[in-house]
Amino acid sequence: MTVDFFNQEFQGTISQLKSYILRITASMTDAEDIVQDTYIKALEKLNTFRGESSLKTWLFTIASNLAKDNLRAQTRWPENVTDITKAAALSNKHFFQEAMNIRTTSPNGQFEAKEHIAFCFTCISKSLPLEQQLCIFLKEVYEFKISEISLILDCTEAMVKYYLHTGRSKMINIFEGKCALINKAGVCHQCSELNGIFNPKQNTQEELMKLDLVKEAETGDKEHLFDLRMQILREIDPLNSKASELQLHHLEHNKQVMEKYLEKKTD
Amino acid sequence: MATSTIAQSGKAATIKTTFHRQTSVSINIQADASIVWALLTKASDYPRWNSTITSIEGSIALGQKIKLKSTLDAKRTFKLKIKEFEPEKRLVWGDGQGKRVYTITDNGNGSITFSMTEKIGGLMFPMYAKMIPSFDKSFEQFASDLKKEAETIKNSK
Repeated sequence: MTVDFFNQEFQGTISQLKSYILRITASMTDAEDIVQDTYIKALEKLNTFRGESSLKTWLFTIASNLAKDNLRAQTRWPENVTDITKAAALSNKHFFQEAMNIRTTSPNGQFEAKEHIAFCFTCISKSLPLEQQLCIFLKEVYEFKISEISLILDCTEAMVKYYLHTGRSKMINIFEGKCALINKAGVCHQCSELNGIFNPKQNTQEELMKLDLVKEAETGDKEHLFDLRMQILREIDPLNSKASELQLHHLEHNKQVMEKYLEKKTD
Repeated sequence: MATSTIAQSGKAATIKTTFHRQTSVSINIQADASIVWALLTKASDYPRWNSTITSIEGSIALGQKIKLKSTLDAKRTFKLKIKEFEPEKRLVWGDGQGKRVYTITDNGNGSITFSMTEKIGGLMFPMYAKMIPSFDKSFEQFASDLKKEAETIKNSK
């Protein structure tokens, strides 16, 4: 493979690589660094690439290995991350001022419930063991086959299936107990609350009903609802969407709050 | 011969003596040993798939101690030590009164045989033997739950 061809292919994969690492580390800086290191490593090893897998699989393998060594990727957040970060946001007047500023000035500062659903999933997925989190994103969002994930993560297909099954089960269970979008008794209404703040002229309920996840909530089919949630993630590029700047601001806030929270816990 | 019959059936069998009681169950599972091992060694995940265990606190690793609550005696917390830990083959935990042995045997045809044995007893055993409920139903349920979960994972797409 020529360097020119590689560069061209890399450019085609870069946004997926970056969003994948962002979702794992919750850090824009780390995502930029890891993708840069992925490029350097891939270029160094280009003569060893035999085409036994696709170039995309090979790049995700390098990026995943770098992510596994990254401290922020390794750090696990508690299941109730969104409760902790919500409390922190409510007691931080600068947070909403900055967010509102982004909302009114940035072309990527819109608030959309589906973008918040994706953001929320990213945060809560950091409560899973890292292998489970990696497998879920690789399979459900970046649509790799189990055999490809087995290559990317250097583990057997049986273990990929185990990580996927247990990770999915845990996430389904968390959202079933928490998310008011799919369960009337759910305790988290953050999507609706934030939509009311950022889009005061909208009828929030009408907006939410545009989402298949909400429309089909009454079926109670947990697996199907999880698949619909994953469909939302697949359709959103967290780095280049209508709401990316606002959601990245939220993510940076949550990352900082969690770092302080975990630091306090270890003291 | 007896073991083989048990392996096919998933039915528990109990042998009683004056100072001991031993319950065993074996079942054939159409899944990889790694999946079964992962299910057996992830403590916090047990209640999700195993209807006989209410909770396990701690880490299932050699020399570690765990606190186990089961449906057999809901009020009691069993404090157990991991005594043997041979990945994908053998796991043993227990306390002063008994030990439970899990074994995984690869059948070489894509299936494994899972066996579980618990032996309890000692010099004081006759004094409290009648107070300990039968393990048979619980063992059969454990093996059946493990088979169902491991095979679901194996067959997932």
